[in-house]
Amino acid sequence: MTALTRAVRSELLKFFTTRLWWGLAIGVFASAALFALLFGILYTSQSFLEQSGGGPFGGQVVADDVQIANTVYTAGLGVGYLLMLVIGVIQIGAEYRHRTVTSTFLTQPHRPRVMLGKVLALVLIAAAYGALSLVGSVLVGSVTLRSRGAEAFPSAEVVRTLALSLLVLGLWALIGLGAGILIRNQVAALLITVGVAWIVEPLAGLAISAWDFGQHHIAPYLPSAATQAVLNGAQASADDVRLSWWGGAIALAAWAAAFALTGIVRVVRQDIS
Amino acid sequence: MPSAGVSVEFAGLTKRFGSLTAVDDLTFTVEPGRVTGFLGPNGAGKTTTMRMLLGLVRPTAGTATIGGRAYAELDDPLAVVGAALEATDVHPGRTGRDHLRTIAAAAGIPDARVDELLELTGIPAFARKRAGGYSTGMKQRLALAQSLLGDPRLLVLDEPANGLDPEGIRWLRGFLRHLSHDQGKTVLVSSHLLQEVEQTVDDVVIIANGTLVRQGPMADLGGEPGAVVRTSDPAALARELGEVTCEPQDDGTLLVHSTDLQAIGDAALAAGLPVWELRRREADLEALFFELTEGRNRNLGEAV
Repeated sequence: MTALTRAVRSELLKFFTTRLWWGLAIGVFASAALFALLFGILYTSQSFLEQSGGGPFGGQVVADDVQIANTVYTAGLGVGYLLMLVIGVIQIGAEYRHRTVTSTFLTQPHRPRVMLGKVLALVLIAAAYGALSLVGSVLVGSVTLRSRGAEAFPSAEVVRTLALSLLVLGLWALIGLGAGILIRNQVAALLITVGVAWIVEPLAGLAISAWDFGQHHIAPYLPSAATQAVLNGAQASADDVRLSWWGGAIALAAWAAAFALTGIVRVVRQDIS
Repeated sequence: MPSAGVSVEFAGLTKRFGSLTAVDDLTFTVEPGRVTGFLGPNGAGKTTTMRMLLGLVRPTAGTATIGGRAYAELDDPLAVVGAALEATDVHPGRTGRDHLRTIAAAAGIPDARVDELLELTGIPAFARKRAGGYSTGMKQRLALAQSLLGDPRLLVLDEPANGLDPEGIRWLRGFLRHLSHDQGKTVLVSSHLLQEVEQTVDDVVIIANGTLVRQGPMADLGGEPGAVVRTSDPAALARELGEVTCEPQDDGTLLVHSTDLQAIGDAALAAGLPVWELRRREADLEALFFELTEGRNRNLGEAV
């Protein structure tokens, strides 16, 4: 076994030897199933789609069959990616908090390798949680859509979205990893990252959109907007400027790379005391 | 066959945190097959020195090497160095055994070795419970088990006796002597209490405020033992003792540089002097340690 494989195994063991993982697994599965049910009913209801008020600022919801299916199957991901963000923060934050980072770096003094092990482990964890989330959302969502006379799988594009949702979860976990290093206090790191990702950043996106240049050249590249673009769900309004799915994937990957790399550079130079 | 020791060299090791010099130009060597006590008051720079040796803290200047190599250059670090730095280095939601498994996994060590060491340190049952409920003594044993995972040639233990009960301390003492004297390993143990390691260590390195104040075998540290005599005329007794050197003490006793109590008593009788007290004086290590580090503890001084 190479040193990197051992590092990944060790990181997976760290994740699965505390009680956190199954609590989060329940959260991921339940939110995926519940939101799929809720959105499945909402987006097959004519009054919801036609009347304004569907979007947060009153514009009419714009969605074709594919977007409706995408929206229903990825409805729980809004919670899912926040949970992955949390997992990313904790994968390093718990090491600082409980000072196991000392043992980690004593066992493997080559710090970039340790961090690469964390990155790969988070990608695997995200894939597993993503798969779990899809089981919940597709089971519940397809039954809901079909029972209300809508197409459960209107095109192969839906499968693309399902696959990409795994990528989205992995990238958010890496954003969390970077943030967990940059904010060394785990509790502060959790509060700040979730607060920013959930509330501050989407609101900032809306504020920036009020400015024409910002609406076209800044807002679509923000992480949550890029996430929406990757998943290609229903749009809140017709003037919503959105990247293509691959543009969104590149933007989100760039955010993840920026956070993770800044964090890794920081860790490599850090005194562990 | 357990692996034999390796020597550790500190050369001009220095660490500055801003304007504070935590470790100042430290140079000394730690030999294999012996237990070396690394002593100094709290805040003297012991932990920072150990962390620099282990590649966790970057030195401002100088080097610390293990068998001529820096920690980060070791191919299989756990097979060379086993370290137990702080007793609280365990996630409270993880069992002690799982904690060791995460380390074993990263080092390619089988889980069977984990169980072997939990048996050796006497905590196989406790190690299957979550670490949140461990006592300090249990954490110390777990940390020791962790340090031995890779059968290292050098053990670096930071205050290993903290929180151990008397029986645990006795066990630890025997264990460290076994590892060093019988297996030839190098053992470096830090402590802020000389008495705590007095019976365990062969060599001592004493630092205060980040600088070396004394280094050498434990036996040489306190000077030679002698005898204390209380009599009516110390000067007359000193003359009677002739060649044996004597020092009158402030409290009226006479310190004789000899442990032959019978000869001292005979001399007093020959001089016709009453003996009010006659006892052997062991080297007072506690006083010496205090003297060496006294007034040098920056944590107790006035704020600058």
